[in-house]
Amino acid sequence: MSPSYPTGRDVLRKSVGGQRRDVALGSLLGSGHQMGEALVPVLIGVVIDRAVTRSDTGALLLWLGVLAVVYVALALSWRFGAWSGDRSAAMAEHELRVTLVRRVLHPCGGAEEGRLPGALANIATEDAKRVGAVNTALMYGISALVGILTCAVVLLRSSLTLGLVVLLGTPVLLWLGHLLSKPLETRSEAEQERAAHASAVAADLVAGLRILKGIGGERTAIDRYRTTSRESLRATLRAARAQAFQSGMVLSLTGCLIAVVALVGGRLAAEGAISLGQLVSAVGLALFLLGPLEVLAWANAELAQGRASANRIAEVLATGHTVTSGDRGLPQPVRGAVRLTGVSHGGLREVDLDIAPGELLGVVATDPAHATDLLRCLARGADPDTGTVTLDDVSLRDLDPAELRTAMLVADHDADLFEGTVLDNVTAAAPDSADPGPAMAAAGVTQVTLALRDGEHTAVSERGRSLSGGQRQRVALARALAADRPVLVVHDPTTAVDTVTEAGIAAGLREIRKGRTTVVVTTSPALLAVTDRVVLLDGGRITDTAPHADLMDRHATYRAAVLA
Amino acid sequence: MTEQIDRASGKQQDGPPPSTTEATEATEATGADSARGRELLPTATAARTRAAVRALTRPHRGLAAGGFALMVAATAVGLLVQPLLGRMVDLVADRRPTGDLTLPFVLLVAVALVQGATTALGLSLVSRLGETVLAQLRERFVSKALRLPLEQVEKAGAGDLTARVTRDVSVVGEAVRNALPELARSLLAIALTMLAMAALDWRFFLAALIAVPVQATTARWYVRHAVPLYAQQRIATGAQQQQLLDTIAGARSVRAFRLEREHTERVTRRSSAAVELTMRGVRLVLDFYNRLHVAEYAGLAAVLVTGFLLVRGGSVSIGTATAAALYFHSLFAPVNSALVLLDDAQSATAALARLVGVADQPVDGPEDRPVDRHSDRPGDRPGGRLAGLAPDGASEAADGSPQQQASERASEQSPERAPNRVPRQSTSVGRDANAPRPPRAGTAGTVSVTGVHHAYEPGRPVLVDVDLTLRAGERVALVGPSGAGKTTLAKLIAGVHRPTSGSVVVTGGTGVPDGTSTDTTDATDTGPVHGSRSGHGNGHGPTVALVTQETHVFAGPLAQDLRLARDSATDDDLRTALTAVDALEWVEALPEALDTVVGEGGHRLTSAQVQQLALARLVLADPPVAVLDEATAEAGSTGARLLEQAADRAVDGRTALVVAHRLTQAATADRIVVMDGGRIVESGTHEELCAAAGPYASLWQAWSGTRTAAHQTPTHDHRPDTTTLKDV
Repeated sequence: MSPSYPTGRDVLRKSVGGQRRDVALGSLLGSGHQMGEALVPVLIGVVIDRAVTRSDTGALLLWLGVLAVVYVALALSWRFGAWSGDRSAAMAEHELRVTLVRRVLHPCGGAEEGRLPGALANIATEDAKRVGAVNTALMYGISALVGILTCAVVLLRSSLTLGLVVLLGTPVLLWLGHLLSKPLETRSEAEQERAAHASAVAADLVAGLRILKGIGGERTAIDRYRTTSRESLRATLRAARAQAFQSGMVLSLTGCLIAVVALVGGRLAAEGAISLGQLVSAVGLALFLLGPLEVLAWANAELAQGRASANRIAEVLATGHTVTSGDRGLPQPVRGAVRLTGVSHGGLREVDLDIAPGELLGVVATDPAHATDLLRCLARGADPDTGTVTLDDVSLRDLDPAELRTAMLVADHDADLFEGTVLDNVTAAAPDSADPGPAMAAAGVTQVTLALRDGEHTAVSERGRSLSGGQRQRVALARALAADRPVLVVHDPTTAVDTVTEAGIAAGLREIRKGRTTVVVTTSPALLAVTDRVVLLDGGRITDTAPHADLMDRHATYRAAVLA
Repeated sequence: MTEQIDRASGKQQDGPPPSTTEATEATEATGADSARGRELLPTATAARTRAAVRALTRPHRGLAAGGFALMVAATAVGLLVQPLLGRMVDLVADRRPTGDLTLPFVLLVAVALVQGATTALGLSLVSRLGETVLAQLRERFVSKALRLPLEQVEKAGAGDLTARVTRDVSVVGEAVRNALPELARSLLAIALTMLAMAALDWRFFLAALIAVPVQATTARWYVRHAVPLYAQQRIATGAQQQQLLDTIAGARSVRAFRLEREHTERVTRRSSAAVELTMRGVRLVLDFYNRLHVAEYAGLAAVLVTGFLLVRGGSVSIGTATAAALYFHSLFAPVNSALVLLDDAQSATAALARLVGVADQPVDGPEDRPVDRHSDRPGDRPGGRLAGLAPDGASEAADGSPQQQASERASEQSPERAPNRVPRQSTSVGRDANAPRPPRAGTAGTVSVTGVHHAYEPGRPVLVDVDLTLRAGERVALVGPSGAGKTTLAKLIAGVHRPTSGSVVVTGGTGVPDGTSTDTTDATDTGPVHGSRSGHGNGHGPTVALVTQETHVFAGPLAQDLRLARDSATDDDLRTALTAVDALEWVEALPEALDTVVGEGGHRLTSAQVQQLALARLVLADPPVAVLDEATAEAGSTGARLLEQAADRAVDGRTALVVAHRLTQAATADRIVVMDGGRIVESGTHEELCAAAGPYASLWQAWSGTRTAAHQTPTHDHRPDTTTLKDV
C-alpha cells in the first residue's frame, strides 16, 4: 500500500505521477490558454495596423475573426486545462489522505506515537492539500513558461532591441520589486504572526468560557484580550503599511517599464524599424508579461511548500511499527487461555499469570501505570521487553495483531465512541446478526437510552463528548460486550458511573461473559466482588491472588487500593 | 422551540435596538440543528449590520475620506497612461522628430511615480481604517461573547461561538486586509476607466457598455450558485475534518475493535464528497470565466470597430483609437477581480452579520440588571443572570445606581420571603446545627433554594419541588444516581440556569448572623437571585464560583491563567493558592515554574494537574459560596483521592455544595443530600443516613461492595473528625 520507508521526494513523485495524465493535459491546454492571452495584445496591434490605420474593412473583419477564433481557443483551453489541473490536485490530495489514514490505522500501529491527533489530522488535510497543489502549480508554471516564450518569439520577431528590452526588463522589474520589498516582507510576516495571536487568544478564551464564568474571570479576560487586540492592531498596521508601500512601489516600477518600452518602441517605429501596430503590441505584451512571471514566482513558492509538506507526510508514512506481525494462525475455536510468563515491560517485573479459559479475573494494580503496561502487552500496543504472552499456547508475537484482536478484545478505559447513533456504536464490532439487547442491558445502556431524546437512535457526536461521562462509558462497555470476543479485557469500565448502576453492571458483566475468559482491570469493589479471583499487582509484581472477599480481609495494601 | 425563542427575546426586552427578526433568523439558522434543539446565537439583519459598521466607522470619518480621495487620485492619475501612449502613437504616425517622444515619456514616468506614491498612501489609510474598525469590532465581540449567559451558549452548541470567534473573525479580517482594498481599487479603476473612455469619445463608452449586460448577468448567476455551493463545501470540509479527528484520535479503539476497514471507508467517503464539491466549485468558476471571456471579446471587438469607424470618419486619431483599445484591454483584470471578490464580499458580509449579532447582544447594559421580584412567575423572568457578569463597580461606574437599586430591592424582598419558606428538609437542619464548624466571618455565604422546579424541555422535568438551604460555612455533598438532577441543581445555584419556577437566593458573606437563615443585612452583598455574581463577598470575585470536571488551561504563562481569577494576585498569593491545592511542588518543578507557558501549544499538563489549577483559581477567586460539580472525576481512581483532598482545602471556610462522585468524598461532608428522580429524598450526616437504612445506606452498601465485615473501615480513614480534617 505505501512503500516501506518513503521520503518526501517519493511522496511528491507518487502524488504527481498518480495524476500524470491530468497534469500533462492541464499543462498542454494551459499553455494554449497562455499563448492565446499573449496573442490578444498582439492582435489589437494588428487590427490597429492593418485595419484602423489603413481603413481596411476587409482586414478589420478578417482580424476580428482571427481574434474571435483566438478567444474561443483560449477560453476552451482554459476551461478544460484548469479543470484537469484542479482535478489532479484534488485527487492527489484525496489519495494522500486515504493513504495516511490507512497508515495510522495499520494494525501494527506506530504512526500516532508522539503525535497529537490534531497534528495528524492537520497533516492529512493541510499538508495533503499542499502536496496536491503541487500538481496545479506545475500545470500553471509550465503554462506560464509557454506564455513567456510566446511573448519572446513575437517580440524578437518584430524587433531584437524591443524584444530584449521587454524580455530583460520584466524579470529585472520583478526582481527589483522583490528585492526592495524583501525586508518589508520578512517584517510583515513576523507582524502578521503577531496579529494572528489575537484570534488565537480569543478562541482560547471562548473554549474555556465555562471555566472563566465559573470563577467570575470574564472582566479580567476581557481586559486582557483588549490589550492583546491592541498590540495585535499595532503590528497589523505596521504590516499593512509595509504592504501598501510594496504595492505602490510595484506600480511605479511597472509604469516606468511601460514608459521605457514605449520610448524605445516609439523611436524604433519613428525610424520605421517596426510598425505602429508592433509598437502597440509591445506595450500590451509588456503589461501581459507581468502575469506569467508572477505565476512563475507563485508556482515556485508552492513547490517549496509542497516539498516541506511532502516531507511531513513521508515522516508519518515512514514511522516504524510498534509491533511486528507474525504469520501463525490461532487454533479454532479459541479456548481463551491467556498466559503471561516472566513478562517485564514498563513497570511490570517478571509477571507470571495463568488465566484459565472461561475465568472471570480481577486485576488490581496499586499503580495505574502498571495497569496500563499490562493492557498494552495484552493488546499488542507493545511487546514485552522480556517474557512472553500466549493465547491458547500461541505467542502473541507470532500472530498478526489484527487476527489477535478478533480473538481477544482489550477495551481501553477512555475508549472513544464514533459518529453514528448509540446503537451504531454498540453494534460497531458485533457479529452481523447478533442481538445487541443483552449487551446493552448488561452495560446499563438501557437506562441511558431512556434518558436520551431519541433513545438508542440518538446521534453521538464529537467522539462521544455529546454524552455525559457515565453514559459514554456504558455505551463503550456495551460495544465491548456486543463484540462477543472469546477473550475480553476491560479497564476501569465504570469510573464515571454511579454506585447503584455499577453494581447492576457488575452482575450483568458476569452473566453475559459466563464461560468466556474475561479480565477486569479495576479498583472498583463492586466489580471485583463478582470476579472468580483477583490478582494484586503491587510494585509491578503479583503479590497475592485470592477471591476479592479474602483479599479484603487479609491484605491491607489491597484494602487501601480498593477503598481509597 | 417557541418557548426558547420567547426566552431569548425576553432577555432583550429592555435592551437597545431589539433585533426584530432575530427570532425568525434563529429559526431559519437552526434548520439543520433543530433535531438537537439548537438555538443558534443571533445573527444581525443586513440593516443592523450596516448600521453597526457605520457606527464603528463614524469616529474615523476623516481617515475614510482621506483614504478614499487618495485612492481616487491614484486611479485617475493611472488613467493618464493610455492617452500618453496614444499620444506617442500619434507622434510616430505624424512622423514627428523622435525627440518629441521625450515629453510623453517623462510624463509617463511621472505618472508612474505619482500613482505609486498615492496608491501606497491611500492603501495604508484604507487598511488603517479597516483594521482599526475590525479591532474594535472583535474586541466588542469578545467582550460580549464572554458575558453571554452560559445557558444561551449551551443552547447554541459550543461550536457556534467558537466558529464565530475563529472562522468569522478571520473571514472578516481577510476581507478587510485583502478583498476590501482590492475591490475598492478594482471598482474605482472600472468606473474611472469607463469615464476616461467617454472622455476620449462618448461612442467608445457606448461600445464598451456592450460587455456590461453579460458581465452583470454572469456576476448574478455566479453569486446565486456560489453562495450555497460554498456553504456546502464548508460543511463537507468540516465533516471530513471531524471524521479524520474521530478516526485518528480513536485509532486505538478502531484497531481494538477491528474497525480499520470501516473507518478507512468513512474517511474515503467524506473525502470524496469534499473532492466532488471542490470540483463542482471549480466548474462553477470555469463557467464564470468562460462567460466573462465572451464579454471580453464582444467589448473588445466593439471598441476596435468603433475605433475603426471613427478613425475612418476622421473624428479621432489613431492614437485615440489605440488608447481606447488599451483602456478596454486594461479593464479585463479589474473586472475579473471585482467579480471574483463579490463572492468574498458576500461571505464576509455573512460573517460580519454573525459577529454583529453577538456584539449587539445587550448583555452588560444597566437595563439588564435583574430585579428579581418576579422570579416566581414563569414567563416573566427578566434578563437575569447576565447581569451577574457585571463587573466591579469602578469600571462601570455609570451602572452603579441601577445596580444599587436592584440590590436594595432584592434585599427588601429576601427577608420577608426566605424565613417563612424554611426548606422542607429542615428536619435535618436541627441536626446539623451541631455539625459544622463556625463559619469564617466575612467569607462564607448562604444559599437558599425554594420550591424549585426545572425542565430543559417542557414536559421533561429534571428537578421537582426542590428546597435546600446551605448555611454559612456548611459543606453539603450532593449524591444520587446519574440523571437524578444533581448537576442541574448545581448549575441553578451557580447561576448558569434560571429555574423554571421557584427561587434560588444566594447571599455573599459578610456578617452572616447564625447560619440558619438566608436573611442578610448587607444590601450590597445580597446577590440578585439568579444572577449570583454581581454581589461580591470579598471585594473581588464572584459570590458563587463553579468548578466542573471540564478541563481547560488558558494558553499562556501559568501565572496568567491563575490571575484570571484574581487579577491583582501577587506571585506569593499564587503560591499560597497552589500550596492549598497541593500543586506548588509540581508547578515549581516546571521548566519556568509560574512563568511556564501552558495550554494550547505550551507545556502539557495531566488532567489531574489541570483540575488542581481549577481549584487554585477557586481559591484565588475566594468566593463565599463554592459549587463543585464532580470536579475530581477526571482523575483516574488513584488521583481522585489527592484531588479530593485538594478540593476539601479549596472550599475550606466557604459555603460549599459538592456534587460528589465517590462516596468517600460525600462521607466527609457536614451534610449529605441524596437526590433521586429530580427530588431530594434524604438529608443528614453520614452516620445518620447510614443508620436510617434509606437510599444512602444502600448506596453506601453498593459502593463499599461486599465488605460486610469491614463496614466502617473507610470512615475511620476519612470521616471520623471532619473538623480536624478540614481545619488543618
